[in-house]
Amino acid sequence: MSTDTRSDDGGFGLTSPLNWLETQSEEVYAYVLLAPAFLLLAVVAFYPLIETFRFSLLANELAAADPFGEFVGLDNYVALLTGNTPFTQQFVAVSLAEGFPFIQFDAPFLQQAIFVTLAFAIISVLFETTIGFGQALVLDKDFYGRRWVRVSIIIPWAIPIVIQGMIFFLMFNPTIGFGTDFMQWLGVFGSNPLSSSTDAFIIVLVADIWKTTAFMALLILAGLQSIDRGLYDVAKVSGASPWQRFKYITLPLVAPALLVAMLFRTMDAMRIYGLIDATAGCETVPSLTCLVIISLESSRRWATASAVAFLTAVVISGFVVAYLLALRNSNGGVA
Amino acid sequence: MVDSNHGEKRVGVSRRRFLETTGAAGVAVGLAGCSDDDGDDGDDGDDAIQITMDGEWTGFEDSVIDALYEAGLDESIEVEILPGDFETGARRSDFTSALDAGRSSPDIFMMDSGWTIPFIAREQLVNLSDELSSETLDYIQNEYLESAVSTASDPETGDLYGVPLFPDYPVMHYRKDLVEDAGYDPEGENWATEPMSWQEFAEMAADVWDDNGGPDGDFDYAFTTQADNYEGLACCTFNETMTSFGGAYFGDHGNLFGPIGDRPITVDEAPVHDTIRMMRSFMEGPDAEYADPDFPQISTTDLIEFTEEPSREPFTSGNAIFHRNWPYAIPINFDSDAFDAEDYGVMPLPYGVEEGAGEYDGTGGTSAALGGWHLTVNPNSQRIGDAVQVLEAFASENVMINNFAEGGYIPPNPSVTESVDPDAVGELGAFLDTLAVAGESTVPRPVTIAWPDQAPQIASELSAAYQAEKSPEEAMADLEEELESIESELA
Repeated sequence: MSTDTRSDDGGFGLTSPLNWLETQSEEVYAYVLLAPAFLLLAVVAFYPLIETFRFSLLANELAAADPFGEFVGLDNYVALLTGNTPFTQQFVAVSLAEGFPFIQFDAPFLQQAIFVTLAFAIISVLFETTIGFGQALVLDKDFYGRRWVRVSIIIPWAIPIVIQGMIFFLMFNPTIGFGTDFMQWLGVFGSNPLSSSTDAFIIVLVADIWKTTAFMALLILAGLQSIDRGLYDVAKVSGASPWQRFKYITLPLVAPALLVAMLFRTMDAMRIYGLIDATAGCETVPSLTCLVIISLESSRRWATASAVAFLTAVVISGFVVAYLLALRNSNGGVA
Repeated sequence: MVDSNHGEKRVGVSRRRFLETTGAAGVAVGLAGCSDDDGDDGDDGDDAIQITMDGEWTGFEDSVIDALYEAGLDESIEVEILPGDFETGARRSDFTSALDAGRSSPDIFMMDSGWTIPFIAREQLVNLSDELSSETLDYIQNEYLESAVSTASDPETGDLYGVPLFPDYPVMHYRKDLVEDAGYDPEGENWATEPMSWQEFAEMAADVWDDNGGPDGDFDYAFTTQADNYEGLACCTFNETMTSFGGAYFGDHGNLFGPIGDRPITVDEAPVHDTIRMMRSFMEGPDAEYADPDFPQISTTDLIEFTEEPSREPFTSGNAIFHRNWPYAIPINFDSDAFDAEDYGVMPLPYGVEEGAGEYDGTGGTSAALGGWHLTVNPNSQRIGDAVQVLEAFASENVMINNFAEGGYIPPNPSVTESVDPDAVGELGAFLDTLAVAGESTVPRPVTIAWPDQAPQIASELSAAYQAEKSPEEAMADLEEELESIESELA
């Protein structure tokens, strides 16, 4: 506050805004400083989204260098949702639905991709959260060899997705893999798990849980370690059982961190592509992102690809909103 | 709050000074970032002409390039062969994105004859009729295999957009020693040129397999082919087998290239169902669901995960007795450590019904899917002229013979194949008669603008039927509906 009286640099026309800034509150100053970052974020995040939406309103042009045709409004969405887009694998969802008691939709597009994606996201996040929470509780304790347990939990997270996909692909490869025989011996899989939608879905699911549980464990551990240990001492003195300590101290205090971790995982799981591509392939387990790639590269339907991509964003944002509402409530509950 | 006010005073920087400094620094860094981007791609002229082919070609890259220079390519033009994806669908995806994005590299694409026409229709390739010398153009259009040239030309104007590199038609590779040990006489019965029926073939293969201990013996498979859910199933392995049974996708073969929307869809018919049932028997035995009780088991369900290379590996490593593949596998099999060169033979693919006994024109008898690859020029290349010079050199007999001898790639000019000195092409020389039979019974794939949408539908319905997730009738009825809806959309 000491040097702000000099005004000899006013030649740039900055004097009055700068003077104005000096008079504002801390909060306004903070927003002014953040404005460029927000602007950049808006450009980076929203421009592609809006452009994708614009593309999705144009026609597919299969016989010209320019992949987009005239404006057709919501036709691409209508074709997708009524099953009139020539996507393959209609049988996939049916065979999946036999294994899982989920609602079936009539439209093939919804059947395949949304079903596979939602089932994957929900089941994988559920398992990853439960197992990750367990691992975090273990890591939160002091015991001999904790360092080694930590390392062993984190290793799967350090493996690149494609390498990990190859590990599972080779495990179930018909000529050299051992996984198929073993699983058949257990009576779980058929003879060609990577070509069977249900089996391949389970392989992808297990591969994802194996890898990303570590991520959940780390985020939840961070939440656990921020809990004031004194609370547990008080609870112990008051005679609270371990279950009561978990239910009334750990769970509510870790809830915000837990929800943020789940939010990240859900968004990630809804975009699943790399793991599928490296193991069973998009033909066998078609996720929403798979459909974007298939329609973009194989059948070269850019507008359809844009419509699928935009729908994916809509579905994901639905989940994000649900999480944000839950987060707001949990914060309110704690504070 | 008190603390933070305190801290601010201690730092002693005003808001004004802070904004001025960070603003100036930000602009400076930003400008520095923008101004330095034209240093690395300014001297493209000295780089090699890049051709994206596949791993097999990079294996004998030096001999190809030497042959190009011998054929008169200016030695100042360097050539580099890049290993593209071996699997055709993956390569198409790579090229689609390269061309849609306007990338200038590679300069030359090696494109499957099965999907070159859609790129031509989108005007995404250089029109070689304007670029090649009239001499070379005449040579290609008059001397090359006509069906190969037609898949490299604009169907409407007839202009040439690709130089056929090699046509491709599959043969049955087999272990002569094992067959002879089981009491058969390939030489005496002329297996090399006289195709047998699938019935005869399957019974013989099962017999030879049994002789070697069957599924639990020395060989995991009596027969391997490609039945993965991929482009190759739709265009080739199923197409040729179905054709040999008298079936077709679009009725008479005159309809293969259109007119879209105005041709019959004939997949839900007996010959097609029979083909699926036979394959089910091969994989799971005559008693399996939807299998044909007349055919024995000669393989396993691993077939539904096999593309070309995974199906070749068991054969080359001495773990399969019969193997359907393209001629590229011949030199590789000759080099196998698992068996001697004289124990290895090839024959035309078996047939379902006699030639001409099929319901549609062009069906019945031994049938070999017509594959093959073309070289096309990237219109975004910085050096189209040099790239065209490279193509001119590829259209020379010596280069063709080199590719034939080194890689097993059949010359696109049939007269070169006929007149070639068997000794000049090494061990391949012994198989020229079989290749000639296969070359006379090719079935082209139905490449139209609708094919990129139709092929995955065909492959995935077949895959479902092969795995008995659907009955052959159900799968083909669904496929008929899907093909019709694509036809009517694109008509």
